[in-house]
Amino acid sequence: MAMRELVTGGAACAVPGSSSSSNPLGALANAIIGSSSKTQERLQEIPTSASAPSDSRFYPDTNDHLTALPGSEFGNSLLQPHAQGSEFLSGFRSANQSGFADAWDEIQHQNQIPPHFDQFHGPGPAALPQPTLDGPPQRVLSSFLHSFVGSSHGGIPFRPTSLPLLGLSEGDKQCIRDRSSIMARHFFADKSEDFINAQVNALLSSLEIDSDARVKGPLPGRSQELEDYWNESQGMVRPGAPAVDGWITEYSQHRAAHGDPDAWAHSFEQQHGANGWASEFEKERSQLASIDQMRGVNIPNFEAMEQTRMLAQTLAQNNDPKFQNSKFLQFVSKMSRGELIIDDNQVKPAASGDWAAEYQQQYTGAPTWADEFAHNQLSRGPEQWVNEFSTEREQHGSVDDQWVNEFSKLHVDDWAEEFGQQVGENSADNWANAYDEFMNEQLAAKQRSDASRGVYVFSDMNPYVGHPNPLKEGQELFRKGLLSEAVLALEAEVLKNPENAEGWRLLGIAHAENDDDQQAIAAMMRAQEADPANLEVLLSLGVSHTNELEQAAALKYLYGWLRNHPKYGTLATPELSESLYYADVSRLFIEASQMFPEDADVHIVLGVLYNLSREYDKAIESFQTALKLRPHDYSLWNKLGATKANSVQSADAILAYQQALDLKPNYVRAWANMGISYANQGMYEESIRYYVRALAMNPKADNAWQYLRISLSSASRKDMLEACDSRNLDVLQKEFPL
Amino acid sequence: MADSTKLKSDALLELMKQHLTTDAGKQITKKIGLVYQINIAPKKIGFDEVTYVVDLKKGEVTKGSYEGGKPDATFSFKDDDFIKIATGKMNPQLAFMRGAMKVKGSLSAAQKFTPDIFPKPSKM
Repeated sequence: MAMRELVTGGAACAVPGSSSSSNPLGALANAIIGSSSKTQERLQEIPTSASAPSDSRFYPDTNDHLTALPGSEFGNSLLQPHAQGSEFLSGFRSANQSGFADAWDEIQHQNQIPPHFDQFHGPGPAALPQPTLDGPPQRVLSSFLHSFVGSSHGGIPFRPTSLPLLGLSEGDKQCIRDRSSIMARHFFADKSEDFINAQVNALLSSLEIDSDARVKGPLPGRSQELEDYWNESQGMVRPGAPAVDGWITEYSQHRAAHGDPDAWAHSFEQQHGANGWASEFEKERSQLASIDQMRGVNIPNFEAMEQTRMLAQTLAQNNDPKFQNSKFLQFVSKMSRGELIIDDNQVKPAASGDWAAEYQQQYTGAPTWADEFAHNQLSRGPEQWVNEFSTEREQHGSVDDQWVNEFSKLHVDDWAEEFGQQVGENSADNWANAYDEFMNEQLAAKQRSDASRGVYVFSDMNPYVGHPNPLKEGQELFRKGLLSEAVLALEAEVLKNPENAEGWRLLGIAHAENDDDQQAIAAMMRAQEADPANLEVLLSLGVSHTNELEQAAALKYLYGWLRNHPKYGTLATPELSESLYYADVSRLFIEASQMFPEDADVHIVLGVLYNLSREYDKAIESFQTALKLRPHDYSLWNKLGATKANSVQSADAILAYQQALDLKPNYVRAWANMGISYANQGMYEESIRYYVRALAMNPKADNAWQYLRISLSSASRKDMLEACDSRNLDVLQKEFPL
Repeated sequence: MADSTKLKSDALLELMKQHLTTDAGKQITKKIGLVYQINIAPKKIGFDEVTYVVDLKKGEVTKGSYEGGKPDATFSFKDDDFIKIATGKMNPQLAFMRGAMKVKGSLSAAQKFTPDIFPKPSKM
């Protein structure tokens, strides 16, 4: 099979974690890499391995694993690569010249029968021998990289081999070097740094790659093969595959910024110590555990069985004795009873009894074809399958026998193969795409629901983690107006001191000024937990909920402000907190503002309240009163501007925003509001410039991205929509300077 | 506003109403020239719906069913989904396919129902 076909087998190739059925390379990599993530579960099964060290649980000691498995004496002999071992290897190679290639081809053809599966899933001897190293360059590279990955199973030192000229470009080399060194750290997390370096150097020297050379700039022609391994290995370590994307993206951005992954790896190790990698992964994993529950990873497996069971029942209702005896029906009923499972397009008998357990165990890893299959099944509905079969029957008309014969002639494996091919040709891409879309949506929905449930979403790869005094740093950055940086520092603070109300409060303020109310609310809710009577926190929550048009919640917090206020607390009546009515609350605040007319705060809260009731004239009056008392409060100018904008006085609003921006030039919210006011006046071209400015300061301001997209459409600048959708700020800033 | 279960969409449609009186709003009326009826449900489409008419012939937003005949298109949403669509968070086509938006009436009229006809709320 041509190399190109292997790697470009499906659109899903490029998507980590979604090993589509049409991506045999992915399937192989899954089989190989996936098994190492499963070792932990296996270890629990194997009594002799009870002594496995618990600190390396995620990367269990593969030696233990080997000795515990039958036939592993074979593997042990491989652990001594000298004299005897290499003799054995070379003997093995000559005896089994094309063994690996055969196995490889078999997995390609998707009609693999059970014993071969074990080859790939257990670190049995057949997975270990060096591959044949002749054939076209791509093939050689392919099997060479396989053997590198394979060596991770036994923790066997990888032996440099002389290879024919491969004609790798600089970009390829760069890519292989970078990724192999990082992947090696994943594979050999339980080994010493020296061992890892030796492994990587062996690989690189075989490929004639200088391990020190650095190529700057983008990588033109990456070795797709390694790319896929890379993606697979990323997908493997984190069950919630699409959730991984964010991390990977973040990581590659980081990488792009520094241009040197090794440096990154080193600095990471310095920061987190020797066990940093492992602990980081464990942390990630535990975070992702909740996603798994959401996605109900197990459910699709059982649903797949359920679907087949329904199909089996439908088919069984056919009274034709020939059909009843047909192998097809037997096949389907076996599947429905769980005696056969479909696994990466291959039909396999399941170990009787603990089918479910095994299935689950095997698939706690990346989402598989089977999951995908189940999802799509759901959307298609089982009837459709049945319909397809009945249509086929009709075509054959009265010659029922023929149909049944045709099926009985088919070997079960052939059927599976045919099915796999059909799926592969017709719709695998569509399925995979739809599936990806679905997963992305799920993820987005989760993030949304997390945020709307008030769960704070932390940034990945925070450079301030480990900073001696992140709160001070955060306050400093906030004062300088570097909001996005301040957010990171403050996140580091609240990770360190989760009960620090001031950390959470300032984090909430930074998010609000950065135009992200969802995160602001989430942070402020944590601040309120830590310090329930903090007036600034209560006011911020009231404002953010007002912005999100959540009236009841806004009213609750604004009333809370009054109740907890030392001067006005006496006005609050206990019976009111049970059922809040806007009129009562606003009456209390009017009373309060008359008690102390010189208190700017009470006028501010009153202004927010009038925004809630959309009495904008009164709101504007309140804010103007407050501004007389506190003319340098930039957030107050913004509040005045927003109120004017919402009462369709957009031109006046812009003047107020300008005041706010004079006081605080990096006030993302005010920049975004400027854009809104221009857009609402139909001045789309101007609005675009302001949105882009806001986004340049905070690329995470989702609202501004959405508004920018609308303005681009309205301004007939559809040519820039692509840059907007790919969030390409460079292009946008160049096109729309302010 | 004595009732605390008010819809988020109320605020947005109120803004729309004001917006249609501005120059930019009049442009929209001129451009679209259609009448939309919008049914908004707090939790589930079809239950406890509040009906608005966004009349982009006259440039008005009114509460209650349309009385001038048949609207060009009628939409049903959940409160949250309407906000998402009007603020560009959700694509109307996608919403329709997912069942988050139900449409009755002329399809070509429905296709002109896009986020850019709505004003954007500003944030304090």
